[in-house]
Amino acid sequence: MRPAAATVRAMNLLLAEDDTLLADALQQQLLNAAFKVEWAENGAVAEYLLRKQDFDVAILDLGLPLVDGLTVLKRVREAGRTVPILILTALDALEHRVAGLQAGADDYLTKPFDFPELEARLHALMRRGRPAMQSQQLRRLSLDRAARRASIGGEVLELSPREWTLLDLLVAERDRVVTKPQIVAAWGSEDSAGGSIEVYIHRLRKKLEGSGLAVRTVRGLGYLLEATASRA
Amino acid sequence: MPASRSLHRQLLLWLLLPQIVLWLVAAFGAYRVASRHADELVDASLLQAARALARQIKPTASGLFVDLPRSAQDILSADPEDRVMYTVSSPPGQLLLGDARMPPPPGQPVLEVPVFYDATVPEPMRVVSLDLHLGAAGAADSALRVQIARASAPRELLARRMLLDTALPLSVLIALMSVGVWAGIRRGLRPLAELQRQMEGRRADALDPVQLRAAPPEVSALAGALNELLGQVQQSLAQQRRFISDAAHQLRTPLAGLKSQTELALAANTDPALRPRLERVHESAVRGARLVSQLLVLARAEPEAMAVQGWGMVDCHALVNRTVAAWVPRALAAGCDLGVEVGSERLLVQGVDLLLGEALVNLIDNAIRYAGPGATITVRLRRVGDDVWLDVEDNGVGLPPELRGRAFERFVRGPTTGEGCGLGLAIVREIAERHGGSAELLPAAPQGCIARMALPLAPA
Repeated sequence: MRPAAATVRAMNLLLAEDDTLLADALQQQLLNAAFKVEWAENGAVAEYLLRKQDFDVAILDLGLPLVDGLTVLKRVREAGRTVPILILTALDALEHRVAGLQAGADDYLTKPFDFPELEARLHALMRRGRPAMQSQQLRRLSLDRAARRASIGGEVLELSPREWTLLDLLVAERDRVVTKPQIVAAWGSEDSAGGSIEVYIHRLRKKLEGSGLAVRTVRGLGYLLEATASRA
Repeated sequence: MPASRSLHRQLLLWLLLPQIVLWLVAAFGAYRVASRHADELVDASLLQAARALARQIKPTASGLFVDLPRSAQDILSADPEDRVMYTVSSPPGQLLLGDARMPPPPGQPVLEVPVFYDATVPEPMRVVSLDLHLGAAGAADSALRVQIARASAPRELLARRMLLDTALPLSVLIALMSVGVWAGIRRGLRPLAELQRQMEGRRADALDPVQLRAAPPEVSALAGALNELLGQVQQSLAQQRRFISDAAHQLRTPLAGLKSQTELALAANTDPALRPRLERVHESAVRGARLVSQLLVLARAEPEAMAVQGWGMVDCHALVNRTVAAWVPRALAAGCDLGVEVGSERLLVQGVDLLLGEALVNLIDNAIRYAGPGATITVRLRRVGDDVWLDVEDNGVGLPPELRGRAFERFVRGPTTGEGCGLGLAIVREIAERHGGSAELLPAAPQGCIARMALPLAPA
């Protein structure tokens, strides 16, 4: 199983889904992925819980009984709740997508789905919802964002500002492709000395040796930070 | 329905045939009238000549004195080409003067009544025979016969000329009228031709109503009936598609549940006897889920569905980068090296972004599925003439040649057993064709497979 980002407490999640077969399995899978799940079987309960309780993230089906998901979403947003909400639905036409996002959803995933993708999106939503975690542990790599410092097994890495920014970006987008334009944009006006992206990647790879992480080149697109297979 | 002559030809036939018959009857009638008038004219002049000749015959004591002055001779030979013959006999039959070949009149002539008849001496001639009293009235034997004959040829000539004078303008009139009728039929049948043109040039799935400008009521009614039928077909097709789409949507949630449940069971189960069975159930659930998704994509590639999905300019470069970036994690999980090769040229096609992305996803998914772990998969984008070629190349085992053509048919699946539902390439082809392009599978060198979508570049 994928190592979740190091977090102190379990994340509160509301699952609004009326299909018991799916809800039952999802609850278990989310529990395994270190979520604390509250299940709402219909739209009315979902709306009540979203208004009254604080969740870190919510999964909302559109075809809910009593009150449909889109209405729940609109009412919750009108009530000023900002909890990140992911719509999980069987409706995948563009107009449904657009309607869902316009009503205030933060992401949209269609059934059937792969659980790892759902989990990744939930984490991405929670990251987006609050400022980047001040400190983060990934395999043997530790990031201290306040100090802009990275260490492997307690040993601090010597990183130039550009190398730090590159590593920060790759960690934030881990397991996803980081394109070259993304890297250039992240660097912004940081000191321009020191060669091309390839050169920085090459240096970073060397420095990440032994961290349990590797930078993979995606031909023609960019780079991706992944866990090396040797140590699970 | 037996093959029948074209409406155009039939109308032409039935309008022109009576005209030709009428023309023939009129011509024949005109000829008859003309001959009669010619006869009457000739007969009148013959009789006049006969009377004039008779006046010149005076009885004398010793017999008869024929005073044929110059003027009378002129009358008899008015036309130098007229061959004229005359006889004077008294008593009738006994030649006094003239040509002995003159044939006698038929029947028993009555005094003072002219007899007209035709004879051949040796050429056809018209003859008048007039019996008159000679001298004292009452003497039975004192009768005189004057006969004048003139060749019939001029008479026939006259009749023919009169016929020609009538028939010629009539023929011209008929010809003009035929042209008019032909043009009229063409004009009248034009809406039908237009209807035919519209129906012939139509794709099998084009069910939009027929548009006719200013058609006569008969054709409008036909077009109306046709449009009604097209509308009904369209409606029932739309209903069917909606049913497929609804059914697919309804299947999605339980399939997602089934899939999640088997995933959980597989994660928790350690019983080696149960595991293969669970794996099979899971595989089926995944395949079912995929099939349902693909059916929905197919439904969305239908023309009327495409119209509402936002047809616009699609930047192929962005499409490829976005789609491949999203699929890299899955490719890595499957042990495949997925990358892109795109030039710097901006390539735009017209179409539905989401559908083209879906087609590309299917090609990448197929490559991962069939090339297997360890494969290198490259998505290549380039311009070839007025087309954009979107290639997904893998270095897997390739596709047997006999499957290459059929792979685009629905529910034909490759040799590798997997989660493929057999709709992926059918969807790719459908989407490519909806965008005016095509899709094909080619062998790659030294091994592997290239799946190519060719799409027409948007006009600059």
